[in-house]
Amino acid sequence: MRDLSLLVQMGFGALLALSVYLPLRCGQLSLATPGFYAIGGYVAALLSTRWPALSGGGASYPLTSLALELLLAALVAGAVALVLGRPVLQLRGIYLAIATIALVEILRVLNLNMAWSGGAVGIFGIPQPFDGPAGYALATGVLLALTCWLCSRLEAMRLGRAMSAIREDELAARCMGIPTADVKLIAFVLSAVIAALTGVLAAHFLNTWNARQGSFDASITTLAFVVFGGSRIWLGPVLGGLVITALPELLRPVGDLRLILFGLVILVGPILFPQGVITPEGLARIRAAVRRA
Amino acid sequence: MEAGQRSLPGAALAGALALAAALAACGPRADDLPLQVEGGVPVGAVLSLTSNANAYGQDQQIGLELAQAWHQKRRKADSPGAPELSLRLEDGGGDEATATQAFNLLIDAGVVALVGPTLSQQAFAADPIAQRRGVPVVAPSNTATNIPQIGGFISRVSAPSTEIAPLSIAKALELNPSIRRAAVFYAQDDAYSTSESAIFQKALADKGLKPVTVQRTQLNDQDFQNQITGALRQTPDLIVISAQAVDGGNLIRQLRELGYKGSIVVGNGMNTPNIYPICQAYCDGILIAQAYSPELDTPMNREFVALYKLAKGGAIPPQLTAQAFSAYQVVAEALQRLNKRQPLSQFSLADARKALMAELLSGRYDTPLGEIAFSPDGEVVQQRFHVAQVQMKPGSLNGRFALLP
Repeated sequence: MRDLSLLVQMGFGALLALSVYLPLRCGQLSLATPGFYAIGGYVAALLSTRWPALSGGGASYPLTSLALELLLAALVAGAVALVLGRPVLQLRGIYLAIATIALVEILRVLNLNMAWSGGAVGIFGIPQPFDGPAGYALATGVLLALTCWLCSRLEAMRLGRAMSAIREDELAARCMGIPTADVKLIAFVLSAVIAALTGVLAAHFLNTWNARQGSFDASITTLAFVVFGGSRIWLGPVLGGLVITALPELLRPVGDLRLILFGLVILVGPILFPQGVITPEGLARIRAAVRRA
Repeated sequence: MEAGQRSLPGAALAGALALAAALAACGPRADDLPLQVEGGVPVGAVLSLTSNANAYGQDQQIGLELAQAWHQKRRKADSPGAPELSLRLEDGGGDEATATQAFNLLIDAGVVALVGPTLSQQAFAADPIAQRRGVPVVAPSNTATNIPQIGGFISRVSAPSTEIAPLSIAKALELNPSIRRAAVFYAQDDAYSTSESAIFQKALADKGLKPVTVQRTQLNDQDFQNQITGALRQTPDLIVISAQAVDGGNLIRQLRELGYKGSIVVGNGMNTPNIYPICQAYCDGILIAQAYSPELDTPMNREFVALYKLAKGGAIPPQLTAQAFSAYQVVAEALQRLNKRQPLSQFSLADARKALMAELLSGRYDTPLGEIAFSPDGEVVQQRFHVAQVQMKPGSLNGRFALLP
């Protein structure tokens, strides 16, 4: 039983990191992930608490309703990303980052002021589809495995190669006939959908959802996952998300020093591994070593 | 070959997660094992020792430490047969996830009851976990409505804002019956401030004072000039603030600096001496309703105040410390009574938790807060509340909450 719920939160971290990684894969620094994460969470929280028909008659929340929430959250987030993506992705580099931060802030302020979102108190008493953390671990694991599979397939797919080409040189990619605007938009929408799906699971897991879940702080945390783990290959963000989420909890035995140690790790990581802990070159070296052995 | 290799880590990851889940499902359940009484009955506490809620967590930590020492002493002196408690304190941070994690950690470690978490917002996330796993929770500082209603295992010793907040408004009107124009400020991105402000506004309306303006601030704001000038244009003679210690302290300071002379009523978030260094001389005269009075003349409170003064060099204990002390005391005394009825070592952990909750709710407790009891759903039943006025020592950063008669 021990630490299974930590495993769930680590899974959420890895998923959010992948959501930041996808736009980065085509060179776009988008910090909108927490915004879509919040959208997913609100979809789940609102549907499960305000729509009695969904909760069925039984003691626990039916899995079919959870599946419906996942579907709806993916649709809503995907639609928002599709509409916003076109104009926002015209911006590059730091300007795109600023625009996406603005998006997160606008969503946060909206959620604070709208009557249906419960303001700062948020929505509480969200019903549980699973008996304990084991169910969440399984659901998160499946979602993470699917996302990882998608990301690993991207490396071999035309879309993934187009993304890499845009990251290396957008102008050159366009000259070679890659529809750069479309590719970037697909990455942005995929990123939004992953974040929203994570939000649905997180809302049920946390029992409560409020405007603080999607804040600027969360943007920075998710970016730290990718900076720490590395943004060249999908394994990097996954590792970053898992490790950085787990570290403050695993360091509990050291008591008051734990946040200092945690800060040190975040500081030392990028100094020792400027490209992130996991790079394609590093992986190739490990593979070669394994083959030799 | 290449693609196959690449997807290997993904498969491994999924496998590991599935394995962990399967292992967890079939492992032995700690709940069925007998309650561990060797070295003290394990009790957990989750307080905000880091994040910007740590101003509250520190006050509470002292309360728990004093309660531990006090309980040890009394156990030795009066009832040597009473069970020993071993308190395990974990940091709950300022967010939901950290508090949830700390709750899980302590429940898995086999604690028989939990004290915490510090913030109401955290309670909405962490308490349902304790409820599902049948672990009694005594909240020392959650004042939002609907906290004990989370479930049968959730109780609190902190009286809700609905009972306390209106008292300070009534007192302000009593001190100055000519008040006609009230202005309201609250931190709109904070759960506690938002819900308390709603109660304040209702209390004002009940007294026939519709707020002339309602200004919203943010927890991380430093500069309140916009909101203040907006409010002062309405020439209020009473300002009611729901904010936390740091932003609220700054707000009061700037209100006075910009020339506001009327009465100020603040909520529970500023109910800590930690505000003195922030608003300094400008803190003087603000009104705060109190669930605790250091001047309460009962043997229990005199003992508590003496312990606190000894530990803190003569300072007067704040409400949060007294409430944390009371929370520990409630758990300790309930365990003692339960043990008298049936030795604790005969219980399984799950049964001990259930029996403790029933015992806890049925008892009466002579705490530093006065005599308290619980309603059947876990809400505290407290006899006396007070209203204090801050009095700052001229030219110093020190002051006190002077109780008004």
